[in-house]
Amino acid sequence: MAEELVLMDNVSKYYGRVRALDGVTFRVFKNEIVGLLGDNGAGKSTLIKVLSGAVRATGGTISIKGRKVDIRSTADAIANGIETIYQDSALVTQLSIARNLFLGREPIKGPGFFNKMDQAKMEEVATALLKRVGISKNIPVTTPIGSLSGGERQAVAIARAMHFHSDLIILDEPTNNLGVAETQGVLRFVRNARDTGHSCIFIAHNIHHVFEVVDRIVVMRQGKVVADDIDPKKTSVRHVEEVITGMSEAELRNAVAH
Amino acid sequence: MQRLFSRPEFGPLVLLIVELIVFQSINPQFLSVLNISNTLAFSVELGLVALGMTLLMTSGEFDLSVGSVFGLSPVIMWSLFNSGALPLEAAFVVGLLIAAVIGFVNGWFVIRLKIPSFLVTLGMLLIARGTALFITDGFPQRTWDASGQWLAEILVGDFYIGPFRIYMSLFWFILAAVILGYVLTQTKFGNWVQASGGNPNAAQARGVNVGRTKIILFVLSAMLSAFAGIISSIRTSAANPNSGTGYELEVIAMVVIGGTALTGGRGTIIGTVIGIFILRIMRNGIVMVGVPGLAYNIFIGAIILGMMALHSGLERRHQSGN
Repeated sequence: MAEELVLMDNVSKYYGRVRALDGVTFRVFKNEIVGLLGDNGAGKSTLIKVLSGAVRATGGTISIKGRKVDIRSTADAIANGIETIYQDSALVTQLSIARNLFLGREPIKGPGFFNKMDQAKMEEVATALLKRVGISKNIPVTTPIGSLSGGERQAVAIARAMHFHSDLIILDEPTNNLGVAETQGVLRFVRNARDTGHSCIFIAHNIHHVFEVVDRIVVMRQGKVVADDIDPKKTSVRHVEEVITGMSEAELRNAVAH
Repeated sequence: MQRLFSRPEFGPLVLLIVELIVFQSINPQFLSVLNISNTLAFSVELGLVALGMTLLMTSGEFDLSVGSVFGLSPVIMWSLFNSGALPLEAAFVVGLLIAAVIGFVNGWFVIRLKIPSFLVTLGMLLIARGTALFITDGFPQRTWDASGQWLAEILVGDFYIGPFRIYMSLFWFILAAVILGYVLTQTKFGNWVQASGGNPNAAQARGVNVGRTKIILFVLSAMLSAFAGIISSIRTSAANPNSGTGYELEVIAMVVIGGTALTGGRGTIIGTVIGIFILRIMRNGIVMVGVPGLAYNIFIGAIILGMMALHSGLERRHQSGN
């Protein structure tokens, strides 16, 4: 059995009287990409928000590498090695690629009093990182994020998570609004991240994208995990759709027909 | 070359040069030694306020109370000195400290109570101005006892470089511009200032203390306003409780004309320096070419609209990646 990285044990979350998470137990192991699937309102967003510090769980515990942790904010999550990449939201569009990569952890050059950023070093590392994450185009790292495409922005965010040794990278709908080539790029970045020792949680509406990249699929329905060990190599998209909706193939066809 | 054109400072620089050419060609006295010396002396006082405002606006906030602090701090300083309560140096420090407290309170209300800076600093504008009027009964405080004091010499003493009469205040302005330009573009703190204005949530998530960054800038803005107000009071030999009225809007205009975004995230000290001179030279120039001074605001309004159109066009091109 692979080493356990994250364990969310019996986690529940109520919004007022609405139960968004109902005693969910969810694991991520080292060096794996987990696909998290579920219909709208199944609870996958809430689960991710709890893990990334955006909301606090009502009950249950979170352990990282076997140690119980209290995640109260996004900064707490990052300090615990969990990086969440939402489309657009994690980057400052006005700043350059290099400045975004090092935001909050800028290297300093010379006496501390002068607080001078080591921009040469930042640009050098950033250039190497973009190569490592697999951006094929030659983009200068002084380019502001605002001038990049959606896929390139994802790449920068993934590169940042890789550089700062995040153990777990959560990608929330990373392929939304992306073209075919860009989507392939992002899927490649995700595989690269796994191959260099990071775990990922991959959430996407498009099941085919999930099948292409993940090692294991977890399905949620109505605030519960209903399947947590589906191997995409040994199953079909159709079967996973049945698990997501809780309907048989015949019922699904019927539902679509009406 | 292409990069030069797309810089936010380029448009304002062209406008400044056009202004100089037009005014000089209509009135050859415009670029006279006397006029240059006078314009420099006036410009740097508002300029100091604009420099502080540039960093604050880059972080996504602004400060309407700067004009009132510009009036209040010298009034407090000279009241303390004239009544014999404190020596001039101590009164000077008290004047600056009171500004620091005002800046901190502004920042605290904006960050901790999450009230927009427009409302917080509007309230502070009234409190500071009201205090200045209340403690003086509306009368100016005399400052001519300052002559011969070393502090006054350091702040506004003058000397000649060739035929040009240069006030020490120009030196303080250049020093502040160089330091703040360095802070904004070269330092870690400057990166945080831009990130706080550009995407505060992302910055916070990366461990940037957005609240503290902004509070520091509110304090800086208020202290530079106080410093400028004190310089102005010594130069004009009077600490008038009404001085600085309306400066807040002129300063904000200088900053945005120079290319700093009102919404935060992007700021330029070089642009602000150009913006300062565009407005001050316009004020001085239209009088010298015989346009009634009362028409000044028409030109300023037109410049603001024109420059905003230019900057928004540049911004769109920037965002579309061209």
